[in-house]
Amino acid sequence: MATLKPPPAQHRSSSSSHTSTGPPKAPLKADPSSTIADTAVFQGTYPVTIGANTIIHPRARFYAYEGPIYVGDGCIISEKATIGAAPSKSRSRSRSPSPSPSQSGESTPTDNQPQPTQELTTRLSYFVIIGPQATVLPGAHIHSSTHVEALCIIHRRADVGSHVKICSGCEVPESGNVPEWIVVWGSGLGQRRRRVRDAKMPGLAVMVASLAAQNPVPGAAPEGKVIEDARLMVLQKEREALARMIVPAGAGKKK
Amino acid sequence: MSRPFPYTYVSCPCADTPVPDPARKRRSRESPQKQTPERTEAAKEVDIPKPQQTDDENGQTDDEEQTFDPRSPRSNFSLYPPEQLLYCEDCHQIKCSRCITEEIVSWYCPNCLFETPSSMVKTDGNRCGRNCFNCPSCTAPLAVSTIENVTGNGAQQGPWVLSCGYCMWTTLDIGIKFDKPTNIRNQLQKMTDATAQPAFDTRSRQGSRAFGDLKSPLSTLTSVADGQAAARDGGEGQSASNEDTPENTLSNTDSRFAALKSFYRTQISETSNSPNDPMGSDFGFSSPGALNRLMSLYASSSRLSGLYGGNKKSKSKPPVMREALNASEGLRIAPEDEENAVIERLASEGGWDSVASIEQRSQQSPEVRFVDELLPLPVLLRTKRAKRCKSCKHILVKPETKPQSTRFRIRLIALSYIPLPTLRPLTLPSSSSSAPSTPSPDLNALSPLRPVHVLLTLKNHMFDPVRITLATPSVTPGRVASKVTVLCPQFDIGANSDVWDEALQGASAPITGDPRLTGLRGHEKTPEAGKVWDKGRNWTTVVLEVIPGTLPGSEADTSNIGNESGDDKAVSGSTQDQDVLEIPVFVHMEWDAEAQLEQQNVGKASKPDDLVARELAYWMVLGVGKIQASL
Repeated sequence: MATLKPPPAQHRSSSSSHTSTGPPKAPLKADPSSTIADTAVFQGTYPVTIGANTIIHPRARFYAYEGPIYVGDGCIISEKATIGAAPSKSRSRSRSPSPSPSQSGESTPTDNQPQPTQELTTRLSYFVIIGPQATVLPGAHIHSSTHVEALCIIHRRADVGSHVKICSGCEVPESGNVPEWIVVWGSGLGQRRRRVRDAKMPGLAVMVASLAAQNPVPGAAPEGKVIEDARLMVLQKEREALARMIVPAGAGKKK
Repeated sequence: MSRPFPYTYVSCPCADTPVPDPARKRRSRESPQKQTPERTEAAKEVDIPKPQQTDDENGQTDDEEQTFDPRSPRSNFSLYPPEQLLYCEDCHQIKCSRCITEEIVSWYCPNCLFETPSSMVKTDGNRCGRNCFNCPSCTAPLAVSTIENVTGNGAQQGPWVLSCGYCMWTTLDIGIKFDKPTNIRNQLQKMTDATAQPAFDTRSRQGSRAFGDLKSPLSTLTSVADGQAAARDGGEGQSASNEDTPENTLSNTDSRFAALKSFYRTQISETSNSPNDPMGSDFGFSSPGALNRLMSLYASSSRLSGLYGGNKKSKSKPPVMREALNASEGLRIAPEDEENAVIERLASEGGWDSVASIEQRSQQSPEVRFVDELLPLPVLLRTKRAKRCKSCKHILVKPETKPQSTRFRIRLIALSYIPLPTLRPLTLPSSSSSAPSTPSPDLNALSPLRPVHVLLTLKNHMFDPVRITLATPSVTPGRVASKVTVLCPQFDIGANSDVWDEALQGASAPITGDPRLTGLRGHEKTPEAGKVWDKGRNWTTVVLEVIPGTLPGSEADTSNIGNESGDDKAVSGSTQDQDVLEIPVFVHMEWDAEAQLEQQNVGKASKPDDLVARELAYWMVLGVGKIQASL
């Protein structure tokens, strides 16, 4: 980290984006090493916690109306991504493909007084990437090293395992469960098991061909995990570079 | 139709019936050309009206009796958006995709943009022979990447894999890694393809041919020499490979096919009556030699052989072809527990997610059932194609050969020759006295019996001014009789001259160009018969007045013209899309073009020597909108 940034406390986001009569500003508890763009939006009544080295891009939105939001270490929340759900009025306007009348009904009457009976904690573990314009609805739990690409929607109470990739535009249904090391791709809910964790022996065709050619059977390929390791390493670098890019812009109030 | 309203279609004349003889004679008399067969071909395609009738607005009524009916089933095949049509300068005809022939100029890989020589296309199986692959899981392009360089220590070494950036599939999923980052297709083939092994393993043992040279079973098809060699070696090959008795050597479908093919080729050459005849081995069953052999085979096996067995024996009895007997010949007996193994595998690992989908399997070898058997797919090649006129064989479109270039050497698109028609509804700025039309009529719900004005703009792309004559049936054909009037059926369009010419001539030029328009500029315009609506450098707009008819069965139908539409009901049978208001318009254009060499002598007497009167006539269809059911 180049500069130790003071936690972007109330004075920044409240002064820049909201007036005192505007929506309630969520109490923000950010790690000093995190990088938060000043146009990021934090609304709601529950606390929002940002972990170390996490980067919040400009115009990312956090709506903590239905429960607290925890973002772990080393995450990247891209532009216009939405964590949580806006209060029901705007939510019904912008999105809500998920028919969840019960949850939306909770916060409908008064936004400032959420029902304490059932708070939906939104949790992002470490090294999670949320792509541009992706939506993570309240109650979702995204485990570590997961990549949620652009325009995805993670519906309420979904549980996305670690090392998962949700390809762009895909959705995880409400209370859906995606096991770890899965790639969700295609349109809608198509799934594909990712098998790269262990070393894998060559396929049958390869064995047969080498037998026929009387060549030595090729040894097992290296562990597929190296691909994931490489990806995480790249993610680390990207994050460091991003932190350098966003900090000056935020300091100069240019971006 | 699929396009949003309003749309315009141009009819290619190729679907029309041939013109009767007199027209053809007249045509050939007018412009005798060297290639008379072409001329008759061209004249066969209707719509070349006679120049004597150019002043006649309804020239088409003389030329052909019936008007073009956009609803007839045939017109589905002749109506095209104007930008899809080509134009043949020799036939002076609009050409649609059915009156042209295509020929392939070059094959190239869309991924690496390398041209594949035509001799290699077949052996490569129409796929890129280099490093381009698509993901077998999601069809995204695969990238070649190293897996050792993760620490970023410069030297690009170590095993290489193909990886999909979208679905994270890698060749590690199927346990494959590559030693080099280049020529991956060959490496993969060596690893996975046991193709052509059985047929050639004797020779590879002899060292006459390296294994890597054998690309695919198709490579044996292409060279005759290979085929003959295989046929000759086949005899030893069988016996040699019998010793191996490899149970699963030929589990690959391709290799089994190759083995079967070489086996049967051997059989044919062995059992052929004249083994030395090259026809026997090269051309298989289709050759006369093979036919002879078959005939004698039948003759010997029939009861005649029983009767006259002695006679047959004395001649050299044609040996009987046998079938493949063992695995090396390509025979594969389905293992008993294969199905069970598949079911077990389904139950034990993966389940639904581990099974390849139909889309994935359609691209793979037919035996692939599970996701981890999918192989990366080399990218399919694409072609650049030249297009020729079917009747005169002249090239209409010829792209540049190089895949990187998007330019064309020749491109005769019809819009360079015919004016581009565009249609839009007329919106009067203020409520004028005459027009009862609403400010912007909803084209998807035209109310019947209420006049609508639409503006038809024709834009000329030729460098010569064009004189246009429009003709339309006063009542549209079909069940719903809409009345159509072209307010100004005859007009000129300026040449597509340089834009700067007009600008340099002064800003007032377009306004003062037409004296009729200058009067209209001041106050609001009203559609007026016999006058063009607006006019520009190379375009002219005229007004069409359309009175949509009533749909049969609607409330308006019971009013004054109920009997009229009742008649129509008897006439046309199709009820689909009857509410779509489509107007057939016959366009006749004439212009003076610079004469080409062959036509110099034929120019009209009144014209200067280097100019020749040209004309072109065609039908187009204007899709105005949909008629509402009720008033």
